[in-house]
Parts: sequence; structure tokens; C-alpha cells
Amino acid sequence: MDTICKQSKKHFLAFFSLLFLSFFLSINPVFAQDGEKIFKENCAVCHSMGKETVTGPGLEGVMKRVPNEEWLLKWIKNNDALIKSGDAYAVKISAFAASQMTTFTSLPDADIKAVIEYIKTYKPPVKVVNNTGGGAGAPAEEEGNPLTLLIGIIAFLIIIVAVLRGVRHSLKNLQNEKTGIPEEEKVGAWTEFRNWMRSNKTTTGVVILFIVGGLMSAGWYAMKDIGVYANPETKLEYQPEQPIAFSHKIHAGDNAVNCQYCHSGVERSKTAGIPTVNVCMNCHRGISKGQSDAGTAEIAKIYDAAGWDPVAAKYSKPQKPIQWVKVHNLQDFVFFSHQQHVKVGKQECATCHGDLTTMTTAKQVQPLTMAWCIDCHRATEVPGMKDNPYYESLHKKLAEKFKDLPRDQRKFTVDKMGGIECGKCHY
Amino acid sequence: MATKKYWKGLEELNNSPEFVQSANNEFAEQVPVEKFLGDNNLAENSGTNRRDFLKFLGFSVTAASLAACETPVNKAIPYVVKPEEITPGVANWYASTFHDGYDYASIIVKTREGRPIKIEGNEFSKVTMGGTSARVQASILSLYDSSRLTGPVTKSGDTWNASTWTNIDKEIGGKLAAAKGGIRILTSTIISPSTKAVIADFAAKYPNTKHVTYDAISYSGMAKANAQSFGQEIIPSYHFNRAEVIVGIGADFLANWLSPIEYANQYSKTRKVGKGKNKMSKHIQFESNLSLTGANADERVPVKVSEQGKVAVNLYNAVARIVGGSSLPSSSLACDGEIAKAAKHLSEYKGKSLVISGSNDMNVQMVVNGINQMLDNYGKTIDIENPSYTHQGDDVAFADLVAEMASGKVGAVITYNTNPVYTSPASLKFAEAYNKVGLRISFADRADETASMAQYICPDHHYLESWNDYNPKKAHYSLSQPTITPLFAAQNSGTRQAQETLMVWSGNNADYHTYIQKVWTERVYPMQGKYMNFTEFWNNSLHDGAIEVGKGREVAEMAVVDSAKVVAPVVVKVEAKQEAAPAVAKVDLSSAATTINSIKGGTIELALYEKVAIGNGNQGNNPWLQELPDPISKITWDNYITMSPEDMKEAGYKLMERQDRESSVLNITANGITLKLPVVPQPGQARGTVGIAVGYGRDKAGKLSERTGSVVGQNAYPFVQMMNGTMAYGSLSATLENTNEITELAGTQIHHTMMGREIVKETILSEYQKNPKSGNHDEMLVTHAGVVKAADIDLWNEHERLGHKWGMTIDLNSCIGCGACVVSCTAENNVAVVGKDQVMKTREMHWLRIDRYYSSDMTKDVAKETGEGAIQMYLDMENPSTENPKVVFQPMMCQHCNHAPCETVCPVIATNHSSDGLNAMAYNRCVGTRYCANNCPFKVRRFNWFNYNENPDYTFNPTQDDLGRMVLNPDVVVRSRGVMEKCSMCIQRIQGGKLEAKKEERKLVDSDIKTACQQSCPTNAIWFGDLNDENSAVTILRKEDERNYFILEELGIKPTVSYLTKVRNAEHSIEEGKHTGGHGHEEKSDKKEHA
Repeated sequence: MDTICKQSKKHFLAFFSLLFLSFFLSINPVFAQDGEKIFKENCAVCHSMGKETVTGPGLEGVMKRVPNEEWLLKWIKNNDALIKSGDAYAVKISAFAASQMTTFTSLPDADIKAVIEYIKTYKPPVKVVNNTGGGAGAPAEEEGNPLTLLIGIIAFLIIIVAVLRGVRHSLKNLQNEKTGIPEEEKVGAWTEFRNWMRSNKTTTGVVILFIVGGLMSAGWYAMKDIGVYANPETKLEYQPEQPIAFSHKIHAGDNAVNCQYCHSGVERSKTAGIPTVNVCMNCHRGISKGQSDAGTAEIAKIYDAAGWDPVAAKYSKPQKPIQWVKVHNLQDFVFFSHQQHVKVGKQECATCHGDLTTMTTAKQVQPLTMAWCIDCHRATEVPGMKDNPYYESLHKKLAEKFKDLPRDQRKFTVDKMGGIECGKCHY
Repeated sequence: MATKKYWKGLEELNNSPEFVQSANNEFAEQVPVEKFLGDNNLAENSGTNRRDFLKFLGFSVTAASLAACETPVNKAIPYVVKPEEITPGVANWYASTFHDGYDYASIIVKTREGRPIKIEGNEFSKVTMGGTSARVQASILSLYDSSRLTGPVTKSGDTWNASTWTNIDKEIGGKLAAAKGGIRILTSTIISPSTKAVIADFAAKYPNTKHVTYDAISYSGMAKANAQSFGQEIIPSYHFNRAEVIVGIGADFLANWLSPIEYANQYSKTRKVGKGKNKMSKHIQFESNLSLTGANADERVPVKVSEQGKVAVNLYNAVARIVGGSSLPSSSLACDGEIAKAAKHLSEYKGKSLVISGSNDMNVQMVVNGINQMLDNYGKTIDIENPSYTHQGDDVAFADLVAEMASGKVGAVITYNTNPVYTSPASLKFAEAYNKVGLRISFADRADETASMAQYICPDHHYLESWNDYNPKKAHYSLSQPTITPLFAAQNSGTRQAQETLMVWSGNNADYHTYIQKVWTERVYPMQGKYMNFTEFWNNSLHDGAIEVGKGREVAEMAVVDSAKVVAPVVVKVEAKQEAAPAVAKVDLSSAATTINSIKGGTIELALYEKVAIGNGNQGNNPWLQELPDPISKITWDNYITMSPEDMKEAGYKLMERQDRESSVLNITANGITLKLPVVPQPGQARGTVGIAVGYGRDKAGKLSERTGSVVGQNAYPFVQMMNGTMAYGSLSATLENTNEITELAGTQIHHTMMGREIVKETILSEYQKNPKSGNHDEMLVTHAGVVKAADIDLWNEHERLGHKWGMTIDLNSCIGCGACVVSCTAENNVAVVGKDQVMKTREMHWLRIDRYYSSDMTKDVAKETGEGAIQMYLDMENPSTENPKVVFQPMMCQHCNHAPCETVCPVIATNHSSDGLNAMAYNRCVGTRYCANNCPFKVRRFNWFNYNENPDYTFNPTQDDLGRMVLNPDVVVRSRGVMEKCSMCIQRIQGGKLEAKKEERKLVDSDIKTACQQSCPTNAIWFGDLNDENSAVTILRKEDERNYFILEELGIKPTVSYLTKVRNAEHSIEEGKHTGGHGHEEKSDKKEHA
């Protein structure tokens, strides 16, 4: 009940904030939304919205610094041209860093304006100390394991039975003493149990049958978890400790770094790729301090791997590759392609990897079992099938085949085009 | 490699008595076995009884199985700094060139995560035209050969010591300067202009240097004949694609002769028939051994070795009689009738015909030149203006060098890419002479037969690790570039490119890459007019891999050509054709003819040949090639004596009939050498001749012989003899002696005939021209509803094929049986090597095999005529025709039946059908019942009897070697024991091709997906595509080509793979054979053909 209340409260809040936001943003409804996206895709890598310098300068109060908005548009579009044109402010700030800012000549003016709008209207998010994710997780753990509860109850019952047995024995002896029958010999619990079993063979048989059956079925289900790193249903989770306490939350969540910035192979290769140390160094050359001392120490590990001497600002030490622990393990006999799912299938990263923007250490949230794959392939329609000429004839034929089905059942899911056949993944 | 010794420690090095004693003890401490067994009270005293034992057993089993349930922790280690061009999971392709002094091919190399895993043909090359051969395909595995030396070594006494390049350079530099007598650089053919320039630089530093080119398989006689005929010692370019009539005399041009990939491609162009093309070339072959080329010929005439020259002379006379010309002295031959017919065909196609000879005898080649001259073929099918440079070996110079070395006049010999101790004729006594040389340096990548006798081995990079340039033919250039950082890269040890080593010794410390660019700036760049600056030209050449520079520009840039001539005689100024033509007339052929006629044959003559797989033996350590069956004999892992079955019957040797693997072991003596080899009946082998393949018996090729337990085959090179200054690959008198020993041979096909069934459908050209469906009869079945086409009857419902419907079609007319596809498939699909013993148990793992069928004298018609009973008829049908059988090749892989018999019997549905028409195999589902293999009508399913990747009995399997494992294709599973496997139609490529099209949002086209076999085929015999796509080549072929048929269609299995009937430009129809074929009929069909 409590959780339901909480949820509805959350929905209520969300609804109101949405209303509030839409009212607030109605001055410039589309702009800022797009601006945020464009900013995160293009700018967030080098610029923070605060004061701190990443690769480029922090953008807090940037509108007060630059001559005017028109100038800023020109600067973002092609800072190189602006510097070369001899613009005084441009020349002045060009001395900011050794590396020049990327030019965005291919970005339309409207987009850049949207970004500027976003920067202008940006309000830093209010820091929530206990976020909802952590809050929801904590009581769940306190609930305790049903198995411990069960064992506790059983132990309690055993104690009660033992006590009652003792009481019964004493009472009987007491009664026997009164009636003059010689005292009943004290029989061990086990002997008594055996005697009872002998006299109640059917019940014993049925109970044993149930116990064996129960163990076998438990064994059968346990076997299904062999080789499975995580299974949300059985609360099996895989969250290995990593050599560097890298936080996805800080990077992908708080700083909104695009997933593809680090996992750049995701649309080009079968593997998304773990970022190489030089990718880390793109930003961490500038960011040497973490949010805490521990964070700073972790960043120092990157420098160690890259052979970077932060004092001399030089790559002067030997390089040491980082040995990450693989979180998402697929067996060797499965062929899985990220580009197939992300580029063609247009799937979100979170569908399989969970919401990493809230995860500190990455963990496996989906079971990655074949059943899980197949369930998804049965339920997911192929996006963009209509518009992709590759599917043209197939789409026509499928439409013809299923034309008699009601509209809501006429879904061209992956399995309809052979997406659950053995040979599609196993070769 | 016994040359290298590793010590376990200083104790072993010092070899102290204590160490010797302890080394002799197997166990470090005495095991108290006797005490243990002698104690009778043990059982009572030990306190461990049977129940305890069972408890321990139970506990340990449970613990082990529980431990197995635990999921392992996998590490992922990314680059620290990722190379820009590498994206993990995405293949990079680099254009490069294969040349080992023998074969040339322009290739593209597929690399994954920086390691080369597959070689494919480069379609930009105008020489090899995108084709490859088995040897080129397998060369990728040679890169990961752990027998390679990892750095320079020097010999002291009998042991090799690792050295550093600094020390080596210093030592050798001093010794070269002090060398008493000349310095000789002995190499195989070098077609690299830059390498020649490097050698010239070296010669400039050490003026007493001479470069000698020696080829194991020499074409020196041919070059010398051309010198006589045209005044230039060259080997011309041939254009088989322009020839309507081809007469080969012992020239195996489809597999080995000169430039087989190029010629196979050209040849196949003249052999393709189809809609709008119903003409094909006529190919007549005179030869002793049944070669791959002879097997593909329209007419094949077995002749003895001693008669091959006479065939040329008689052919000359026969042509001269028709076209008008003086005749040469001749002697009559049994095959004069066939020669006359050949001459008739040739003369009908003057300027469009080609006569070639595989002989290394200058006289024979001169007569052949004369025939081509009479037929006006120069400038048309033979191009002497654009000579080929791939075979420059000079036998005379080599023999002179050996004599010079023997006399002790040579101070130093540097050998590069050559192995004369192994390949040179025994009569020359090379090894003895070599030992007399004061300073012996080898650039070999391993301590091979020659290098192990040297004092220094300065190992060269593998070609996939090197920069180099090549000039296979005039005006054709290609480059090779490193596709991997040298595997044995170390600062001061490690391997080093031979050219760079020579450059260092001649005082040039530049790197070879820069050197090549310099050479190209000076010589190649000025010859082209396409690019405006060198960088652009270089980058484009490197990207394309092979370029053809503008013809005719050489003349304009005379100065350039001349300067090149000095150091690199690869760009030879050629006289105009008009001047060359009369030159031939001046040569007196009659003395040549007289010499040829004076050759006397023996009762048994020996003809040496090269196998398609092993070739000249360069890659003797390559298990892929050893396991590739010989296309004719189908025997793996051996060389042997081939002999006519008739001769064998007379001599009483075992005939290996009816699936018998046992063969008699003979001692063969020729040219003073005796070898002990098994004898194999070879139908079609000329009577009175025997054949032995060279390239075997390499005891120092590497670790393979150690791992398989024995050296593969025997070395037949010592049989080579020097005749008239050139090497003759055979002997005119050999003696055979039965040792009465029996051995077994590992053949992959022990059933040699089709037993009267139409597995390979065949017709002749004249019939085909009348009816394109000739030879391709529909299979009919008698049913209650009358006689119906087998294809129309179906027990099952048709599959629904909404998306793609894959199909493959193989043109049997184009397939020459060369086996490039088999090795390509092995490389692409991680197919295991199983070794000789397993092949003998028919457990080879090749997903794709090439079936070879001989025709049989016994047919159903013959049985009817002679009234033979059915049992005897079928028994006789098993025997191929002995004298001169027709040979057909048929690539056979999983036919991906739409109603597959294998699928219905699998109890676990491990093999099942996909919606796009493939028969898929889920290895992890397979439990190994092998029901599917038993139910497969094509026997294409392969079962993993052992875990070839780990089992210590199969260490020769590349996957068992840390280096060898790097060749594996990461997109394909390595199968384990107890699992069935088979052709997947390269499903990884299908999925990859589909994905590319999806990503680019366009329709799939044929070129998106090429199976490995299709890609590697030099004759383009294999098509693959989507049958649901109207524009795909397969759809069009199946619709338009009446030759299309499915094997065993009558079984109702509806295969996905189809074949196109083989058409032979022969005179007799197949059914008629030689039993009923009359001459009248011949004449008629003949005229129609050429009308």
C-alpha cells in the first residue's frame, strides 16, 4: 500500500512539474528542448554548465562575457574563421587553450540558436541527497530474504515441538505416578520419530515424495541459472568490482555525456567497445579532481594507465592497460551485433543495459539468456521497416500475409522475419 | 627443429654428474611403491575404508560440479591508445601481394583487430583478376607458423645461438669485407624492382658480388629458346582468353605452369557457355601424368615422357603440311592420328590458337615457338612485347655457381628465398659445394634444409609483415604492405626484412619503405600519366594493390627505362614485333628436331610433377595444404608413385581397388637415386611412365613433421637431372622394385566412379548447340498417375520464403577442380585439420570437398550388349577406365535441401531450416547422435570425433598453437568434440552483407555477399545470391540456363545448390564413349562446331 501511494504521489508530482515546465517553457517551446539535446551531443564533452573548465571553459555566465549573441553564433559556427577575421575578443580568447575549439559549420543556425537558448535558460538541477533510486532500494533490502524467514519459523517450530515434547513427557509421567504405572522410559526424539514413521507409512511416503519432488524442481530451476550472471526474477545480480571505481552516474547522468562518446563502436561494430584510455584523457586531461578525494584518487588511476604526468602535463610514464571486468558476458557461441540492434533496430542502450545514468558501478540488469532474447524478438516490431528500402519487398509480403488480422495484431515483429531462428545468432 | 637447444637451467648446461644422475631419475624422490604394496596390514591400518572412499568420491564429484556452475570472471582490456584505423569487431582490408618466388597473386588481406585472418583475390589486378589458388589462400597460416625464427642466430659448432642485429651486422660486415673470393647472392626469382636495386647497391659496395637466380621449378629452357628465336631471354605473356584452340604438351597451366591463376581465369572465359554464347575453346592435352589441366581437357592423349618432344616435332610437321612450310625430320608416333587432328583444329584457327609445352628443354620450346609462329599466334595469343617476369631462374648460371663453390673460389654466399640443398638435383652435389664456402648467410625465416647449413640466419619478415613491390609482367606493378606489426618485433633482435638487412650491410640505414618510394619515384611514376604528383600516385597504387602503367609511355621515357635496365632488368626494351617475327625463320629447327628425335625412351620413364597443394614445397610446413587432397588422386599427406593400373596389374602390385587403402611400397631408382614410395594406380597415366610429386620429404620445414610424428612423403627433387644445360624434371629410365611392404594411404575419395548415375551431368558441345538441355534429362518417376517429373512430386508443403531465398549455382564447365575454394573455406570457417590417421578413417573435416569422378568402361549399355549380370556390372562399374578416362570435378558442400533429410531425424532439432532457405546447424544444441550424417544423401556432414583444438594427439592442428590460433575467424565458432558440423553457406558473411545493406538503407545486391568459396575461385564458377531477387545472377542463371540441374532431385529433397551441366568440346558423345563413336559422326559434329 505504501509503495502504491508513493508511486501515485510521484506521478502526481511529475504531472505537476510537467505542467509547470511546459508553462515555463511555452515562451520558447521547441528551442530549449532541442538545444539541450544538441548541446549534449556536441558541446557537453568539452563544456560544463558550471564554472569549472573541462576541455573548454565552463559556460556559467557566458552570456555576460561574450560581446553579443550574434557573435556567439558566429563563434560556435566557425571559431577559426572568426579568429582569422581578426575579431578582437575572438583573438583574445583563442589563447585559452592549446587545442582549438571544433568548428560546427555543418550545424544549421537554428540549431546553434537553440543551443544558445538552452545555455541562457539553463538552471542547475537541485541536488537531491537521497535520490529515489537509493530510497526505493534500501527498504527492499530490509524486507529480508523469505528463505531466512522460513528457516527462522522452522527453527522456532522445532523449539516449540521440543519444549512441548518435554512438557508432555513430564505431564505423562506425573499422571503415571499418580495412577501407579511405572515411569515411562525417556525415549529419544529420533527413536520416537522413527516409531511414528513406522506406524504412519503412507503419510511418511507422501511427505518424502513431496520433499524429493521439491528438491528436484528446485534443482531444475537452479540449473537454469548455470552460466547466467544475472537474473532479475531470482534477484541474481552481477555487479563486479572494477579496477577503477568509474561511475556511470557521474558521467552519463550528472554530466550527460552521450553513451556513444565513449562506446563509439556501437553503431559501427558488433561490439560497442570499452573506451580506450586516450578517450578518458580527452576530458580528464583537464579534470583531475573528483567530487571527493576518493574520486580524485580514481582519476589518478587513469593517469597511471595513460602514463600521464599531471604535474609536468606530459605523457612521460609507461602505459598500463586497464583490466576492466566484463559485466555483460555473452557466450562465445552467440553472435551478437550492437550495430544491428542500435543502428538498424534503433534500440535504446537502456533496454538491455538498464538506466546507467543512475548506476554508479555498472551492473547487469537483464538476464541475457536466450529466452530473454527471444521474448524481446517476439514482442519488438522492426522500426523503420516501412521506410528502409531494404525491407521493401518483405514488408509488402508481410502486409499481404497478415492483411486479414485486426490492426492491433498486425505487428511485424522480429520473429516474423526469421529473427528467432538458430542460424541468426549461432554460427 | 633439432638445431635449437634450450637448457632447463645452468645445471644442465654444465652437465655435472649430479645433474646427469638426477636427470636419469624420473621422479625427484623415490616413490615408496614397494613398501606400499608389500604392507599387508595396510588396509587395516590406514583407517580409510571403502565407505570413506565412496564418501570422498561423492564429495569431490559434487564439489567439482558445483564449481563448474560458477560463472567465470572475464576481463576486458581495451587499448591504452587505440590505433585510429581499428574498430574492434570491424574488419580492415589491405591490398597486398603474394609472391614466394614461384606463385604470384595480387591479394587483399582481411585483418581483425590488427591481425590478418583471410586472403582474398584482388579484383583490381589485371594479372590474377581477383583469383587465388590453394597455396595463396593457405599462405596466411604460414605467417602464424611457430617454426619461424624469432631473431637472428649464429652457429657455433652444431648449436645455434641467438644474436642481435648489432652483433650480426658487425660480424658479417667484417667478414664480407674480408671475404676471399667472390660474394654470391643466390635467390629465387625476384620480381621486385626495389629488391633488385638493393642488390645492385650491395654489389656496388662489394664489387665482387654476383647475383644468381635459381628456381626450383625452372623455365630456363623456355627463356633460352626465346633467346634463340627472338634474341631475348624472356618468357612471354600468354592470352588463353583469345585462344579458340589450345594444345598443351605436358604443361599443367591450370595448376602450376608459369602463372596458373591468371591462365585459369583466362581459360575459363573461353569455356563458359550460356545464353547467347554457345561456342567454347577446344583444348587438347598431350601428357604423361594425369594433370589437373589434362583432366579438364576436351581431348587428352597419354604420351610417354620421351615422346613429348616428338609430339611437338610431329605437330610442327602436321601444321606445316596444312599451312605450308618445310617439315622437320621426324619419327612416327602412336598418337600421330590425334596429332593430325590437333593440327587441323589449330590451322583452322590461325592467330586464335595456342601451343604450349611444359618442357624445360630448349629444343622442344624452339619447335613449339616454330609452331606458334606458323600459326601466326605471336602478337595475338602470345605477347612477347609484354613479357612475364615471374620465372627468371637460370640453370646454367646455377650450375656454374655450384662448380665455382666446389672449387672453393666463392668467399661468401647469401641465400634469399631459396632452398637449393632441398631442391637442387642430386647430381650437382650442392650441399657439398655449399660447405666449402667460407661465409654462409641465409635470409630464411626458419632453419630449413639450406639455412641449417649456413653460419648465420638473418630471418626475413613474412610477406604479410613486409613492404615490397612487384613487377610480374611488363607494365604491371603491385605493392605489398605490412598488415601486421612483425610478430617477432624486437628492438635489436626479432626478424628484419631481408632488403633492409642488405641495405644495412651496404651502408644504407634508410628503411625499405622509403627506399621503395624512391625507386618508384624514379622508375614507375614517370611511366604513368594518370596522377599529377607522386604522393597521389603512391597512395592510389597502395590502395588498389596492383596497377598497370600506361603502355607506350616506356618508349617515350627511354632514359628512365634504360636506367632501370642497368640495375633491374625487369623493364626490358623489346624489339618491335615485326622485327621479332622473321627472327624465328632464321633459327634452324631441324637440328633441334634431330636432337629431340635422338631421345630414346626406357621401359619405365619418370615424370616429376607439382601438386596443386604443395607446389614446389615452399609451404611444406602448412597443415592446411598437407590436408588438401590432391585433385586427381584425392590423397592427402603423402607423395607416391602414380602408375597406370594396367602396368601395375602386370607387375603384380596392389591395385587399391574397391575402396582398398593398401598399396605396395616400391623402391624406385632413377638417375642414380633410390626412393622408397608407395605406388598408386592412376587411370590415364601413360603406359610405361610413373609420376612422383616434388615438394615433399621436407625434414627441416618446421614443427609439422615433429607434431605428426613423421616427415610427410619423400623428396623427389634429387631425381632432377641437368640435360643440355637445363634441368629436366624426370628420367627416361627408371627401375621399380617391389619391397613387398604394404602401406596405407589417406585418400578422401575411395569411390572413383558415378556407378551409372547422373551426379555430374555432361554433354558435348555439338549436342549442346543443338539442344541446350542435352545431357540434362529430367528425372522421371513412375506413379499411379503416370510418369511425372521427379521435381513435381512433393511429400511436404512448399516453404514460405518471404524475405530472402538464398541460392547457389556452380558451373561445372568452369570448375577446374583446383581446390582454392577448399582452403578458403578452411580459413574462413575455422575448419580443423585432422591428420593422416583420421583421414584414413574418413574423418576429414572439410566442409567443402571437390569430388572427382572417372568415367568407367562399364556402362548399362555395355552390360546390355555383353549380357553381363547386374552384380558383375556394378562391380565393374566401380573400376574407372584405365587407359584414358574422362574426368569431371564437382564441388560438393551442404546442398541446403529445402526438404532436408537431416532435419527430420535430429532428435534435438539441432539442425533446422531457416526462413531464407538455409539448413542451419546449432552446435550447442547438437548431442552428437550422427543420425543427420547417416541420413544425408551427399555425405557432407562432418563429425568432430575429437576435440581437435585441445587433444594432444592433434598438435598439428593450428588451433593448438599459440601463434596458429591467431588465424581463427572470430566470427565463427570453433567446434568441439561430439558436434556435427557442415557448410553454413558462410552465414556470417550473409548476416554481415545483410546488415550493411540495412544500415545503408538500400536493397541487397549480389556483391554484398560473396561466400568464401565463391570469392576465391579463379574461374568464377560459383554464384551466390537471392533467388527472390529478380536481378540477382543466380535467379537469371536458373531461369535462362537450360543446363541448370539439382543433384539427386529424384529424392524430392529440393536442394538449394544447383549445378550447370558440364559441356565438353569433344568429338564423341558421352554415352557413345569410345565403344560406338564412329568417325562419320565425328566429322559431322566437328563441322557444326566450327561453322
